[in-house]
Amino acid sequence: MDSLLQPTQAAFCLLVTGDPDLWTIIGISFRVSLKAILVATPFALLLAFLLAYVRFPGRRLVVSVFETMMALPAVVVGLLIYLLLSRSGPLGDLRLLFTQTAMVIGQVVLCFPILVAMGYAAIRAADRRAWETALTLGAGRPRAMLTLIHEVRYGLLVAVIAGFGRIISEIGTSMMVGGNIEGHTRNIPTAIGLETSKGAFAEGIALGLVLVTLAFGLNLCLNLFQRREAHAL
Amino acid sequence: MNSNDSLSYSRLEKHYGQHHVLSIGCLVMLPGRIVHLTGRNGAGKTTLLKILAGLEPPDSCSVTLDSRTLTWQAVRRRLRREVVYLHQQPYMFDDTVAGNLSYGLRVTGVPRARRRRVLSGVLERMDLAYAAQRNARTLSGGEQQRLALARAWLLSPRVLLLDEPTANMDSDFRRQTWELLQHMLRDDLAIVVSSHELSQAERPDCLKLHLQEGRLEAGPRSLQLVGQDWSDAPDYAGVAS
Repeated sequence: MDSLLQPTQAAFCLLVTGDPDLWTIIGISFRVSLKAILVATPFALLLAFLLAYVRFPGRRLVVSVFETMMALPAVVVGLLIYLLLSRSGPLGDLRLLFTQTAMVIGQVVLCFPILVAMGYAAIRAADRRAWETALTLGAGRPRAMLTLIHEVRYGLLVAVIAGFGRIISEIGTSMMVGGNIEGHTRNIPTAIGLETSKGAFAEGIALGLVLVTLAFGLNLCLNLFQRREAHAL
Repeated sequence: MNSNDSLSYSRLEKHYGQHHVLSIGCLVMLPGRIVHLTGRNGAGKTTLLKILAGLEPPDSCSVTLDSRTLTWQAVRRRLRREVVYLHQQPYMFDDTVAGNLSYGLRVTGVPRARRRRVLSGVLERMDLAYAAQRNARTLSGGEQQRLALARAWLLSPRVLLLDEPTANMDSDFRRQTWELLQHMLRDDLAIVVSSHELSQAERPDCLKLHLQEGRLEAGPRSLQLVGQDWSDAPDYAGVAS
């Protein structure tokens, strides 16, 4: 029992005393994942809207592809991006491998299908009358789209939170394309893996606590938004 | 009728797969009059109204607007500015009553100061001033209907299309809605009210159309109202199939 208790106490100490190494790792994690979600969200929601409101052959197939990609293993995404960004890869000249930008790219690829598929479901579930009312009251299509997004904002926030939850805790892509470089590309999941392998359980548990607290917070937000969405319908 | 004020649709066709939904030769909107459009459930009234409002594409249709005849596709955006369609159960945006009322004015670029002036007057007239800052979805069905009518009317449309506005409503509410419509009617506004209940069409002061098997029919009372044979009357809110 002591083997769990002592490192946990030490982990709390590290968090409370503001251990700079620990908070650097936490900072990198949030910086990379927030950038990824901010880059992916507008494009993904636009695509979700087009899939929901523009009829074209193969639309259902495209939706199915995105739904399937939601379960894409992070390590496979990491491998593909590694091959693209490695020296001998087609994008090797950009010299992005083992940088935070590479991690952002990987996380964008990971969260994009979640945002599209869940955004599509939220927009499809919206009352068709919202779109028609906006148009008949004089809104152009772009303005009507913004109105519709506002009407289903809680459902879309659920998609964004689910996407963020996926990328903040993934290890496969970050490890492969980030390289786990201290102070540069070492984020929470890769650091937990490293610290545990070194036997530094206090650091691992401290970072794990951050992730668990974050997951709890995100879940609370999800519940709150889902309840608001139910009230808004 | 001033031809510059005219809006008419001709050779309107609509299919759903093999099913022929609408086949209308001519339909003229007559300013200053209320037209009662009847037809059984599933006759295509909603589809027709949405096509007239530029919301649903027909297979083919020509629209004459201000003496210019163009295809429906070419004037679709213009139709959305000139014709306002109200759903059977009006949609309220997740916003305050005032926010819902001003939506059309906001998206069409009316300045804020003018919006405020217009809104306060309309809220008073519609007995909704007390609820201006309440979420519109918390209003009763009747209040939502009034709000939707006011929201549409504020845009000064050429045509107002109401899809079964009094369905499932009691007789008091129907009378109130009808009085409100007559109060809203202006010389430059045509109103079309659809209903599947024939009894509601028995009002002496409105023109009547009946939609059956995709074609529009004008009843004998309508012929009396215009005082001439509808097939020869260009200023009839009617019809030739």
